[in-house]
Amino acid sequence: MSRRAKIFWIAVLVVFAGGLFYLRSLARRVFFEPPPHSDESAKARLSEAVLQSGAGPNETAVLFFPSLIGRALVAESRPIKWAPSEADRVRQVLLALAEGPSQRLGHPLAAATTVRAVFLTLDGTAYVDLSSDLVSGIYPGIEAESLAVYSIVNSITTNIPAVKRVKILIQGQEVDTLEGHADLTEAIVPDPTLVKGNP
Amino acid sequence: MQSLNRHLPGSWRKLLLSLALLISGLGLLLWPARTLRSDNFVFYFPTSRRVIPLEVIDSVQYLPLLPVLNLVGTLNGLTERRNNLKVAFGDSHIELHDGDPRVRLDKKTLILAAPVRVSNGKWMVPSDFLTTVLARLTSQDVEYQIGTNRVFIGNIKPGSFTVRMEQESSGARLTFQFTDKVTVHTESTNGKWVMFLGDHPIQPLEQSFHFQNPYISDVRFDDQDGLPKLVITPSAAGMNFYPELLEGGKVLQAEVSKPAQPPPQTPKAPPPATPSSTATTAPPVAPGPATGTAAQTGPATPAGPPLPVVALDAGHGGEDNGARSRDGVLEKELVAQLVERVRQALLTTGKFRVVMTRTGDANVTFEQRAVAANVAGAAYFLTFHAGDLGGASPQVAIYTYQSPGLASPSSEGGANPFFVAWDRIQENHIGQSGKLAQTIEQDLAVLAGVTVDPATAAPERTLRSVNAPAVAIEIGSLSPDVDAGPLTDAAFQLHLSSIVAEALSALQAGGA
Repeated sequence: MSRRAKIFWIAVLVVFAGGLFYLRSLARRVFFEPPPHSDESAKARLSEAVLQSGAGPNETAVLFFPSLIGRALVAESRPIKWAPSEADRVRQVLLALAEGPSQRLGHPLAAATTVRAVFLTLDGTAYVDLSSDLVSGIYPGIEAESLAVYSIVNSITTNIPAVKRVKILIQGQEVDTLEGHADLTEAIVPDPTLVKGNP
Repeated sequence: MQSLNRHLPGSWRKLLLSLALLISGLGLLLWPARTLRSDNFVFYFPTSRRVIPLEVIDSVQYLPLLPVLNLVGTLNGLTERRNNLKVAFGDSHIELHDGDPRVRLDKKTLILAAPVRVSNGKWMVPSDFLTTVLARLTSQDVEYQIGTNRVFIGNIKPGSFTVRMEQESSGARLTFQFTDKVTVHTESTNGKWVMFLGDHPIQPLEQSFHFQNPYISDVRFDDQDGLPKLVITPSAAGMNFYPELLEGGKVLQAEVSKPAQPPPQTPKAPPPATPSSTATTAPPVAPGPATGTAAQTGPATPAGPPLPVVALDAGHGGEDNGARSRDGVLEKELVAQLVERVRQALLTTGKFRVVMTRTGDANVTFEQRAVAANVAGAAYFLTFHAGDLGGASPQVAIYTYQSPGLASPSSEGGANPFFVAWDRIQENHIGQSGKLAQTIEQDLAVLAGVTVDPATAAPERTLRSVNAPAVAIEIGSLSPDVDAGPLTDAAFQLHLSSIVAEALSALQAGGA
């Protein structure tokens, strides 16, 4: 075999090997790698399990659930072992809301809702990133949607005084509304006038 | 290739060829795509204007560097290496690198919003080069608004304009208010009306305005060829168009109307002449398939002062069905039906004109709904929804806007009436909206068998950007647990519609 032929064959082999390597990595990416969100979801659920087990002394959390009749929020108390960090406490409140009320009241969050992330900023804004499952638990309409939003906001700000307003994100994205009604374009301050019994 | 033929059997040759084709095919398929389209960029100078083609690469506007520099000064030298370009421009030296957003200008390093690119052998810079670098290279003023396709260089004060559309009984009237005098020359091209606005440079606040209207579909500002003009698209063919310049050329009014039967033959009366006026009346134009003007005469002259506009918004639509009842009634269809009844009731009073933000089953954004009402100069805005109200059907609840960022809803308006962002303009109308809600609520109290919830505030997104007294009216309950029979009942809808129309009439008459 001539020198030129050898060089030619080596070049062909290199190209072929490169192609195979590329195909292999492509196949791995397409067929074997898990979708990125499944790992994220697993982490979120693991942290939820840890939070639910609790660590501190027994205290009381006040949660607000939508009334089924009339435009109002109804307060419910329940024992809770607060986590040390405020971000984790926000998660605890959201998980408790997702568990639902003990009385016959509305559900502000579907049970399947995952708390993807919580961030607190120095100006007292809590950014809560929820999974899109959230909307499946909300009754349709202006009243029902706004009550669900204020149920989340009032519950968080009442239990974690450092939080003054709440910005709700869905699947990591800013959204206009949940289901076409409640304005989520900015961080929401609590509305205490909605709570039954408050003036 | 000869070597390949000599050393390989035929089957191997085919296999290798197939593999090479497969690999190159996959490579082409998976190569990251660059979004690329071409447009023009207009450079306005005090006495001239030049057009340079721009490229949009990965959503960033890019301009060719050397033509841009040639427009504003003289190139003294150029050194190009593989990934690097050095330009001597006047007394300055510029150095750029392919793929790098940093530009070295003499001893300063400036950072652009996107990396410099070499496309088809041309050095391309992102459009913020105009303000970041060019403004330092030239002693002239450089006025460029990011995202637009025009820059003003030198002592130029570009004008602007606002648009207002009013619907009339047999047509629509467009009013353009310019900041400076313009001259108008109208042509009809491809079924659209094109109004050339003379030589004065214009920087529009919005590039286009869309209407849901039986006469006008949209109005677009265009200066891609360096000639500022307005392109008006009619909603249907065969409309008459009568543009007219008023107030010395600062107001352009255009009447759009359906041709009368039989077609009018009398010439349009000239506008009253005023000594200081330079107003010109363009001949009426009908859009046709080819360029040219078709003389149509006899404009629709409005009778009496215009009636106030009520903007009616049917919630949801298109892909967004809204709520659904147990028996399959969709919110988007139910409220569209109700809104049509309210429209009829309002027109019957003879006291209002009506603008619909959604006609048919269309996807309409919140912004488009607000713009439709704001552009029409609506006196009132009503958005209709159906949802779960908890109690027995039928129920009605009325809401005013509650800003989610304000601590407690105030009947007096927002926190700072002087600085309200355009998209939160409803905060300026909270007081009047409350009055509107109370008037409708009081009138609804006479509706037998219907529970009316006290008017309250809610962060209803549709209301946020509406520049008029605005309320959301929700009927219920429409939810998966109950049937929608009481809400689809024609008697209920007719009563509700007539009460809403009466309430607005009373409010308009000042008798609320």
